Amino acid sequence: MTFALGYYVALIASSCAAAFYEKRSLFMMLFSLTLISFVVGIVGGEGALRFIATSAGLLALAAGVSYAFKEFLVQISRPSLAKELKTAPLTAAFGMFVIFTYAVAGIFAPWIAPYGESEIVTSAFAQRDENLLLGADQLGRDVFSRIVYGARNSVGLALLATCLAVIIGALSGLLAAVKGGWFDNLMGRTADVIMSVPSLIFALLMLSIFGTALWVIVIIVAVIYSPRVFRLTRAVAGNIVVMDYIEAAKLRGEGDWHLIRKEILPNSTAPLIAEFGLEFCFVFLLIAGLSFLGLGIQPPTADWGSMVRENATLISFGDITPLIPAGAIALLTVAVNFVVDWMLFRSSGLKEV
Amino acid sequence: MSKFKDKDVLLNVRDLRIDGFSDETWVPIIKGVDLTLHRGEVMGLIGESGAGKSTIGAAAMGYARDGTRFSSGSIEFDGMELSTATEAERRALRGSRIAYVAQSAAASFNPAHKLIDQHTEAPVHYRIKKRMESQEDAMTLYERLRLPNPSEIGFRYPHQVSGGQLQRAMTAMAMSCRPDLIIFDEPTTALDVTTQIEVLAAIRDIVDQFQTAAIYITHDLAVEAQMADTIKVLLKGEEVEEQSTEKMLDDPQEDYTKSLWAVRSFQRPQKQRPSDGSAPLISVKNIDAAYTGGVKVLDDVSFDIYPGMTVAVVGESGSGKSTTARVITGLLPPSQGEIFFKGQPLPPGYKDRTREQLRQAQMIYQMADTALNPKVKICDIIGRPAEFYSGLSGPALKQRVDELLDLIELDPAKYYNRYPPELSGGQKQRIGIARALAAQPEFIICDEVTSALDQLVAEGILRLLDRLQKDLGLAYMFITHDLATVRSIADEVVVMQNGKVVEQGPKDVMFTPPHHAYTDLLLSSVPEMDPNWLTTLLEERGVDNIGEAATQ
Repeated sequence: MTFALGYYVALIASSCAAAFYEKRSLFMMLFSLTLISFVVGIVGGEGALRFIATSAGLLALAAGVSYAFKEFLVQISRPSLAKELKTAPLTAAFGMFVIFTYAVAGIFAPWIAPYGESEIVTSAFAQRDENLLLGADQLGRDVFSRIVYGARNSVGLALLATCLAVIIGALSGLLAAVKGGWFDNLMGRTADVIMSVPSLIFALLMLSIFGTALWVIVIIVAVIYSPRVFRLTRAVAGNIVVMDYIEAAKLRGEGDWHLIRKEILPNSTAPLIAEFGLEFCFVFLLIAGLSFLGLGIQPPTADWGSMVRENATLISFGDITPLIPAGAIALLTVAVNFVVDWMLFRSSGLKEV
Repeated sequence: MSKFKDKDVLLNVRDLRIDGFSDETWVPIIKGVDLTLHRGEVMGLIGESGAGKSTIGAAAMGYARDGTRFSSGSIEFDGMELSTATEAERRALRGSRIAYVAQSAAASFNPAHKLIDQHTEAPVHYRIKKRMESQEDAMTLYERLRLPNPSEIGFRYPHQVSGGQLQRAMTAMAMSCRPDLIIFDEPTTALDVTTQIEVLAAIRDIVDQFQTAAIYITHDLAVEAQMADTIKVLLKGEEVEEQSTEKMLDDPQEDYTKSLWAVRSFQRPQKQRPSDGSAPLISVKNIDAAYTGGVKVLDDVSFDIYPGMTVAVVGESGSGKSTTARVITGLLPPSQGEIFFKGQPLPPGYKDRTREQLRQAQMIYQMADTALNPKVKICDIIGRPAEFYSGLSGPALKQRVDELLDLIELDPAKYYNRYPPELSGGQKQRIGIARALAAQPEFIICDEVTSALDQLVAEGILRLLDRLQKDLGLAYMFITHDLATVRSIADEVVVMQNGKVVEQGPKDVMFTPPHHAYTDLLLSSVPEMDPNWLTTLLEERGVDNIGEAATQ
């Protein structure tokens, strides 16, 4: 009862304050939340109100963390970069913070994780306690440790595959734009062929032919996703090769490699970096999907995709353990997308220069 | 001023200040401009780019362009204060009582709709006329603007109409609601001289007929002299002076205005071909060329360029000037004919030419923005040809770049590490020149190098090119459509039309009659600083014999 009272008092006081200081949109938000809370409170009782308060608190916490992290980045980076960062929206800062956290978890996994990734520490499906933060899996391994190691394995593998995909795609795209003619056609049609087969089916097919060694996964996933990078790069570079400065360089007698490296690449980095982020999400999801199907990273290596599958049965007992690695995947994908959105916005010239 | 009474004031701008947003702060771009426009008066706004002409033009409609805001001052249009009016009130004025004619009609018309549908949009929207009524009115206007087939031309799409006709159709569209005020923002800048003249005549007639007030924005004084009753000179967001046109032309008061007027005075002595019978530096012999699968763009083009001389190639757009340059550089191998360099034939395609042959012919481009890689430092842009051809590196390369920057009159210490977007248009063009010089060529093709620049800046570039020619003995092929430029810098002139050389010879011969008919048309179409020039010309040639009609 006291909670509900305090809840309404706080909401109404803050909306009055917003109205007094003429913060129109804030007031509208707060006051409509108050009105909704009346209904929700009557229907759902105090529990529903607690839920609203917790989610709002979490949102506020995330916003606060993002804001602080952005300020931190602004402080430590070079002046030119700091200027760009200042314009970044909170969502982008949140994305960067999440990526930063994952990177720390992945890099320092052996120090952060309390147990080894394939170390059996207790009985199967042990409950959560202060030693096992997230409980144990079907073999009695610590789920928290496996999540931390999974950051290293899943993200590392996806990163490797994405880098390879971008390198293959960008290089062939740039070459196709510079050379033109039959080479352009050949590359374009090859890309069409690869893209015409659904990616997951294609990957499954290839993996069942070539086996499931790590390097095979990396190469296959890279090849499957390179056509998208190829298309983008070719389009971007196509707009650049018609510029007069490229003509000037050609007339100077420069070779194709110089054209690509010194003249075209510096002008196409922004869309390429954005594409890198976008591709990373797709690659990550594909690898997680492959692992879930048992053709990706092989046990006992910790990996988020296979962790979901291994603990999937727990769902029917109302246990959320399999959702934790899935949530980790979702959070990273959303975070990367936030950052990419911001980069795309910058490079697409939507803002005034 | 006397012919307009004070009580007929239509637009009254007082102490207008506009801020622009850059680097996350608001900086003033218009610093207190006053403007009084009477009914039926045409006011010319003139100044360099960045002087705030277009911003003031937009402000007269109560419109602050993206990234700008009114900071203070008043804009009173026919008794109504625009700077404080609501957006809906201002929008109700635009199109109906204030109209706007943009610089590029081709970019301003919606390509997906017929001209007449776009014409009738405003009158129908404001319920001024019924649709059919407005269509008939459009045809009358088209006729008054002397568009061919006035009853039919409106039912075409914008791409089916030529540039000059499109600009006139746009003027007709601005007239559709019989506005009190029209703002012309450089309506003829993108047009050829021969086309420009018909648009000028049409605009002037229609503004006269309907007693419309107009603000005419341009950077071309001679055009302004034909159009405006009063001229206001702007510099960096401030008014320099305002006078009636005759007075302004005869007796400018301020130094800045005088310098604007003096731009066209630059002229250097004409050189003659060497008489010792030496071979020409570049000899173009009977060139035919076509783009893949297309019709012939060049037809039997031949001319010679001797060392140390400037050959100007003139003609309208589409006459094959730039294509000739592409053939000489090897970008477009000719289908017939040959190019000789010092008597030796050059391979047709640039890929087959040796490094030495490539070094000898350099190009300077029209748009310095696209000619310089925005992500490469100045020192690398200029240094690369020196490194590439002469194999310089380390301190020697740096010294060479410094030398080149000195040559183009830019301070090496200041510009060495900059990027092109940080430079002004004129400075960029100078970097383009330095890049060409870095190869130490004997021959440079200048493709409309001054047409994207303000007159003062353009004159600086011309003087620089002239000095370099004297110092380094360069030969220029100077592609231009601006005959004033030709007059100031050329030794020989080649006139092209429809891919053919119509006439060629030394400049003094070319500029004295008798001319070939086409040369005559080109020459007589260049606006002069005399306010009565257009009137006289129209009387001489007759209104139906100008522009496109005359070229056929």
